[in-house]
Amino acid sequence: MSPTPSSSGTPNRVTKLLDKLPPELRPRYLGSTPFGPSLEVKRFLYPNGLEVLCCEDPSAPVLAYHTWFRVGSRHERPGKTGLSHLFEHLMFGETKNLRAGEYDQRLEEAGAETNASTWLDFTQYSVNAPAKALPLVIRLEAERLRNLLLTESQVSTEKDVVANERRYRVDDDIEGATSELLWATAFEKHSYHWPTIGWMSDILGFTPEDCEAFYRTYYAPNNATVVVVGDFSLPALLKRIGEHYGTLSPAQLPVEDITPELPQSEERRVEVTKPTPTEKLALGYRGPALGDFDHIAASVLAEVLAGGRPSRLVKRLVHDLELATDVRMFLGPFRDPGLIEISATARDGHRAEALETIINEELLRVQKEPVTVDELARALARLELGLLAGLETVEGKASTIGFYETVLGRPAAAFERLESMHKMTASDLMRAARRFLRPETRTAIVVRRGAEPEGVAP
Amino acid sequence: MNHKTRPQFATVRGVPVVVETCHALPLVNLTLARTTGAVIDPVGQEGLTRLLSRLTRRTAGGRPLQTIEETLDRLGGSMGADVSYSAASMSGTVIARSLVPFVELFADALGKPSLDVTEFERLKRETSAEIIEGQDNDRALAHRALRRAIYPDHPYGRTATGTLQSVARIDHASLVAQDRVVRRRNSLLLGMSGSIELGEAIDVAERLLDAVPEGAAPVDASGDPCVPVGRKLVIVDKPERSQTQILVGLAGTKPDDPDHSALHVAMTVFGGTFSSRLMQAVRVERGWSYGAYASLPIDRFRQAMTIWTFPSKQDAPACARLTLELLERLIAEGITAKELGFAKNSLIRSHAFSIDTAAKRMSLALDAALLGLPVDFYERYEERIASVTLEQANLALQARLDPGRLVIAVVGNARELRERLLESVPGITGVDVVPFDSGEL
Repeated sequence: MSPTPSSSGTPNRVTKLLDKLPPELRPRYLGSTPFGPSLEVKRFLYPNGLEVLCCEDPSAPVLAYHTWFRVGSRHERPGKTGLSHLFEHLMFGETKNLRAGEYDQRLEEAGAETNASTWLDFTQYSVNAPAKALPLVIRLEAERLRNLLLTESQVSTEKDVVANERRYRVDDDIEGATSELLWATAFEKHSYHWPTIGWMSDILGFTPEDCEAFYRTYYAPNNATVVVVGDFSLPALLKRIGEHYGTLSPAQLPVEDITPELPQSEERRVEVTKPTPTEKLALGYRGPALGDFDHIAASVLAEVLAGGRPSRLVKRLVHDLELATDVRMFLGPFRDPGLIEISATARDGHRAEALETIINEELLRVQKEPVTVDELARALARLELGLLAGLETVEGKASTIGFYETVLGRPAAAFERLESMHKMTASDLMRAARRFLRPETRTAIVVRRGAEPEGVAP
Repeated sequence: MNHKTRPQFATVRGVPVVVETCHALPLVNLTLARTTGAVIDPVGQEGLTRLLSRLTRRTAGGRPLQTIEETLDRLGGSMGADVSYSAASMSGTVIARSLVPFVELFADALGKPSLDVTEFERLKRETSAEIIEGQDNDRALAHRALRRAIYPDHPYGRTATGTLQSVARIDHASLVAQDRVVRRRNSLLLGMSGSIELGEAIDVAERLLDAVPEGAAPVDASGDPCVPVGRKLVIVDKPERSQTQILVGLAGTKPDDPDHSALHVAMTVFGGTFSSRLMQAVRVERGWSYGAYASLPIDRFRQAMTIWTFPSKQDAPACARLTLELLERLIAEGITAKELGFAKNSLIRSHAFSIDTAAKRMSLALDAALLGLPVDFYERYEERIASVTLEQANLALQARLDPGRLVIAVVGNARELRERLLESVPGITGVDVVPFDSGEL
């Protein structure tokens, strides 16, 4: 964030109220930044390191209260994969002052919706609630950050639940299984090698001690950002957060133990067989980190190649040649360099190789010839529509703010990126194509039809 | 800020128009819905209404499909065609600066689709490919198997998408004939939301409806479906499943049933929240399934109430048995006063998230009109829930849910599951096994 303190510093109404708090519970106002045409994000820092980003939006009597922790599967190590995600589940359990199930019960009775997600770089908890429920939300969120209990039975049951989630999302899901294999093959050193949900054997092996250590290490105010969007009184919010979170102690955060991935110098290819009616192809090219200047160019390029029916790959593979049911391209929004993924599903009777031939032709073409002015304009309009449509709800706004704050440290980066996208030229896209879409940095997974032999471990 | 915003209503060329203005974002949403959905598909030609809706969108004003898609992208717009059992709709969103050309395109789709035969054949091939691809989706397979078994003699038992066989049977002449019957102005409803004022919306409505022929489409007279007597088990046989998808279906209610709200509250206690009986017993206490939910969907006629769990293949028989035991206990013993209070509070307070955006408010008003409900149906939601008594909730459970008339649909390996399910679940009166790739689903 590039703080832009207002001329009067902290807003007056906030200052007066916060002055009544003891200094150790009183946040510092660090400035504000515009968030789209009509909103702004104000940043506050409490003495214990907790950051709070506030975006007042009184258009409906609801609010989103999201807590983002700067810990994800990137912080795990072999043998303990999936701990961030398992822990996310455990955060909904018993605490010193809440019996098992009470956290959800209290919030559901207040009309709130709760959820959480874990990914490579972060873990995020969301409570979307009627505006009146704010005091309850703050109290319960602070309670589970301070007083979570991690018993043997809780950890054991939740391990079973996560094992079932893994079966649902990965083991019995062709797309999930293919994506997991793609990343595991493309990354050998970096922690992006393992899936966020973790390997099954690791999930089943966790102990309450593993979970307790993780909690004490990462779930600290100085490793978290609270994002609040919606209909609330800013002074009352900050005062309550100070009262409930202010006495939490900061933790000594460990140094990040990340091994960068070595450059890839030749293609990697894996073929698997699954019970599926059609062949699938998943390609992963070594891509840029979210903060890389060329991430924006690569994002626009992905839209030109596979964003909607007129895009080059969809037009040729789905529309003109009718070889594929669908083609998608995804550029990972991660702190470290990830993958540019291209996935395609062959139509019945067609082989994955036929898809790959066309994809290769088109990827070569964008490296040789500039995209047209019209293609660029269409890609930008699609991206703009996507951003705006995602901001209709308080949930959408809070997720966007929290994500960009956690990964890039700039809560309004979605709009900054949109502005930068509009400055992109065909030259930028050609440079990105030449930099990233090189065959030697490609990993390919081919899924064939048929049943896997029984008893063979994945 | 006035939180009590409500839709504005107008009538343009006899068509009801719902408008919900909000300038928070420079976006405009348009939805044009028709009160005839997939239930009017002729037997053996399931998927006809959906094909027609998609082709209408793909041949707007006789333009080639690629031209339509490029125009939409250039404008910063999206347009989709959707078909449910009781309605067909075309909806879209556009960046407000492009509203005028977007409306031109939308109007041409509604009023002047060429229904080009080459595009029709391409669409059929695409649809067939999508149906084949759907065989990868275990949950969708379970839903289709459940519907087919629970409503064998009603259009709700068929699929709106169609099957490989039914789509193959649809010819261009049938589709054109269907278009003449259903694309009629008097069966339409129009909704607009976002950065648009009432006056502008009326102008848009005039333009959209300009070329749509007058007259009414057929009325859906299929009536309420009936669930066969007995407990039927359907296994969708699929190899290599480490997990199963289990759906239990029973007859539900429709929104104007006098006890619908009471059943809605009772089912919330059973499986509508994370704190529900089902979720606590299946996930929290036993760790058997990542999710465990019950839902009571609404439509013009009585839809099936469903219970969904997805345990591992080892736990599947016990999980199916537990689900039915919990259901039987719910019907026999009812819910408690404390549970009633919890569910009512949860439903009433969380309703704020059903109406927190202009698009959602417009959509609810349109839904009410499509289902033939009073215009203030959703505005009075909280009032209806608040009025439900314990006696009403428990009477609704006993009157509506019959544990002796239900279907259990399971996706998994039939060889591994069949006997174990029959041993575990009492009272099964019939078993059907359907290969996942048979083309029947």
